[in-house]
Amino acid sequence: MTSLATLKTAVKRALRQASRATDVREAEVIASSTDHLLCRLNYTSGIPCHGVEEPKSSESFGIGIRAIFTGSDGPRLGFGSETGDLSPAAIRRALEKARHNATADSEFVSLPTPPAVKSSRKPAQLIRCYDPAIMNLTDKALVETGWRVIQEALKTFTASESLAELAGSRDRVPSLGVTVGGDVSLYRQRIAIASTHMPKVQTDESTYLTSSVTAMLENQHAKGSGYTAVPHLSKFKGESGSEAARNAMRAIGGHRVASGTYTVILGPQPVSDLMVNLILPSLSAEAFYSCRSAFLGELQHPVASPRLTIYDQGAGRGLVGSKGITCEGLPTGRTSLITNGVLEGLLSNYYETQRLLHDPHGRDKLGINPQEHADALVPRNGFRLSSRGRRQFDVPPTIAATNVFIEGTEPHTPDSLLRIVENGIYIGRVWYTYPLNGLRAGDFTCTVVGDSYLIRGGRIIAPIQGNTVRMTGNIRHLLNNILGITNQARPIVEWGTDEVIYAPEIAVKDVRLSEIAQFMESV
Amino acid sequence: MTRLRAAKSLTVESLDKAKRVAVDLLRETRRRQKDCRYVDLRIEIAESKSACAENGVEKAAQEDYLFSFGIRVLAGDRLPSPGYYGRRLSSADLPHLTTILRDGFKHAYDRAIANARGKEHTKKQFKILGESLTGLTLAPIEVRQDTIKAECSVDPRSVPLSEVSRQTVDVSRAVKSLGARIKFNAISTSTGLSRELFTSSEGALIDQSFATTLGFCWVVAENDTAEQALYDYIGHQRGWEVITEGTRNPLIRHLDLLTFATSLGRDCLRLLDAPPLRATDKEVVVITDPHYNALLAHEIIGHPTELDRVLKMETAYAGRSWLFQDLNRNQIGRQIASPLVTAYSDPGLPGLGHYIYDHEGTPARKVIHIDKGIFTGFMNSRQTAAILGAEPNGSYKATEASMVPLIRMSNTVFAAGPHNPERIIADVDHGYYLVGHRIPSIAESRENFSISAQKVYEIRNGQVGQLYRDGGMTADTKDYLMNVDAMGTDFRLTPIPNCGKGQPLQTKRLGNGGPTIRSRARLIGR
Repeated sequence: MTSLATLKTAVKRALRQASRATDVREAEVIASSTDHLLCRLNYTSGIPCHGVEEPKSSESFGIGIRAIFTGSDGPRLGFGSETGDLSPAAIRRALEKARHNATADSEFVSLPTPPAVKSSRKPAQLIRCYDPAIMNLTDKALVETGWRVIQEALKTFTASESLAELAGSRDRVPSLGVTVGGDVSLYRQRIAIASTHMPKVQTDESTYLTSSVTAMLENQHAKGSGYTAVPHLSKFKGESGSEAARNAMRAIGGHRVASGTYTVILGPQPVSDLMVNLILPSLSAEAFYSCRSAFLGELQHPVASPRLTIYDQGAGRGLVGSKGITCEGLPTGRTSLITNGVLEGLLSNYYETQRLLHDPHGRDKLGINPQEHADALVPRNGFRLSSRGRRQFDVPPTIAATNVFIEGTEPHTPDSLLRIVENGIYIGRVWYTYPLNGLRAGDFTCTVVGDSYLIRGGRIIAPIQGNTVRMTGNIRHLLNNILGITNQARPIVEWGTDEVIYAPEIAVKDVRLSEIAQFMESV
Repeated sequence: MTRLRAAKSLTVESLDKAKRVAVDLLRETRRRQKDCRYVDLRIEIAESKSACAENGVEKAAQEDYLFSFGIRVLAGDRLPSPGYYGRRLSSADLPHLTTILRDGFKHAYDRAIANARGKEHTKKQFKILGESLTGLTLAPIEVRQDTIKAECSVDPRSVPLSEVSRQTVDVSRAVKSLGARIKFNAISTSTGLSRELFTSSEGALIDQSFATTLGFCWVVAENDTAEQALYDYIGHQRGWEVITEGTRNPLIRHLDLLTFATSLGRDCLRLLDAPPLRATDKEVVVITDPHYNALLAHEIIGHPTELDRVLKMETAYAGRSWLFQDLNRNQIGRQIASPLVTAYSDPGLPGLGHYIYDHEGTPARKVIHIDKGIFTGFMNSRQTAAILGAEPNGSYKATEASMVPLIRMSNTVFAAGPHNPERIIADVDHGYYLVGHRIPSIAESRENFSISAQKVYEIRNGQVGQLYRDGGMTADTKDYLMNVDAMGTDFRLTPIPNCGKGQPLQTKRLGNGGPTIRSRARLIGR
């Protein structure tokens, strides 16, 4: 990886070079070095396989320049970047690209400026919040993390007396169709940023590890999941593998559920899936500007049960998604989104905040006068993220959540939540949760794919067979029908997403479930 | 322009130099490294231009290049295993490419060796459960050296960025001018030329170029009682003419971006005045148009016939396939659809899914998935073909060279049938006509689907009548396929520019299609 000192020097040099250009009115320079090291896992007892299927990495570093150029037709905003090179020549090329790419965006106000009131938090506390073991990971150590998960899962299956009994003997356990799939992902990222408005170079450095594992006993239609998200390698023992294996065994003998309306408990993964695909996209300033949000025109209004509070916390120590600064050089921090059911604030970056503050239709879109409620639009979430491994120099800032917390007003435990439900369904994993009529309509559907159970008499009594139930609803209806939220949450990073959802379990009434795929019983 | 040329010191022609370096290095590497069984290398250079506009306002424009490489090594003594390495590069890296690639080989090789040791250790430790851990083999292919040129009338490199931006803004302004009920619109365009080199230790040397152009439109409309948001794409493996003139290929037909986007805007406005569709508890007759069936083919034919997913490699991500439980229990050779249904993937068809060789140098060929209702086979890679004892069919593709390829659709389609599409509607007493795909939600093994439509019309006595918004259909896949009783002659291909798969997620452009189809399903609605 490129050192922080090298990134810092390049940013200083680039800002100097950009500032010397006579046509540059404002400039912002970011340099980053980001690695995503990954082992994809695939073990199948009945099909020839390789265990660690793909030990691989995606690595990049470089420099990006956003600049405002003066011209005869007014100011023009441009962005240019260079990959794999931080030399003065690369800086020249990036600046030239920014000039060439510049456009006259009449809604642009300025590049980010420092917040009027200085944050009391010291961002420097987070800067060293990284794990040297991940920063210096060798190829051998990367591969070992993958095998650790496979071994933990196989150990759990091998140790189970009941599984051996079900198979007929220990030697016949493979005939149950043991499957272990998923990944171990290690992220390491360094950024340095400075601008005309914030000339002192700010840096940030972070590491974390996530692992998402699915284990199955195919012949029993039994599926279980395991998750890990930790900031330090030493905290990872491959437990995502053993958890998935335990949950797969717990799912043996799954039942079908008749179509109907049920009271359900949504486990951490479904809560996370709903957050990532429906709720958070509706809570971004950009969704309000473009009239797409399910909560359009409802700032300061009740949008959910008074039991529900949601906030984003980008600066919490020890949290997986924490960052010292945004990718616009602004402080991260806590953004209250929904408090006791009332929509309080939005996730935003500097551009979208300025755009809404100056939008003649801003009052209609938000439901309040944005000029009088600027605290609902603080740009704490401007990040430059890419599927190639999080923070990247070569993309302009968009809006992304960091660590999202979902909390309830009453301190429920998983057991007390089960007692509230009394008779219903525990839904532990869903799939393909999409807004079928667009985000604003709020209608959604998904299928229940595993980790789910029947609840009778306030207790979990039997597993539900995966891929046999479709859940359909409206997100507004669901948020208003919340019965309770547990006070225990676990970090979930959904496939293909960046934010970490600290997801509790949530009980909801009047949820429509439909039985599907009956034909599979005879396949 | 002169200054930008200096800034853009890398072009697709720069791959000529990389080609010589790659071939020499590959030969040397396999010879030198102990237990190295196979190596392949992909290098890609792409030049692209793009622009976006919102509500008639210019938002961003970009002209840039992409230079990246990816290496696969199979190495190990008793249980050869894979190791991968990929990276994006700079124009300044070109003179140092030998050193950079050598370093990449070392990483991939070290990972493969560590992987082989981990596999041997685990196999010993778990004995019975370790039996399925095997050495990786690649099914044999005909090793080729070939060069494929891109096809286009207006070379993407010849279009000034200012022109790309101007046309994008003009389209956005035109959509805005449709009226005050249009609350938001976003238009984006991109055009580019990419050149991909594949070389392997078996002696393959494939040099393929592609021109690709896409246009995207997203419209939000609102009145006092309703809102509607629609989005759609045009796209083809051609030059800038895709945006300015549209495409009039016998299999791909779309309008120029201006006409296309304003037409979508008008649809959005019409839908504001339409009532929402009510969901049904029972099945009804559903007729779906070729655009809707493109996404249907994508979700219920394409994805479940990707052999990596079938062999459980995507269990934790994109899911498995109901067509295959294990090597002994699967649907190969069984009837899964009406005899009217034939479905296949064909990289030889034009459009976003067209290519001649995949990313491991396998000559790409048509794969029949369903032949007159009988399930016949999967898309595969050399690794997965070896497991099933099948012949590789060239379906292993990556979004860019630094990423590890996955099994991907090319052009996956329902074949045309014998029925006149107008008669398919006219023969219905009561049913629904679903036009244009919108948003899918598919069950994990693709055994059930729910896909919303842009527009739904009620059919009464063979006539298309009342228009509804916010509707679609849901069904169990096999039931839907078995109930098909008409397949139209009006086959069309539709671009799908955003298919997500893999970890990390790769977003791929491909083609899907089909004719008008009649079957039975439940309606979804509000």
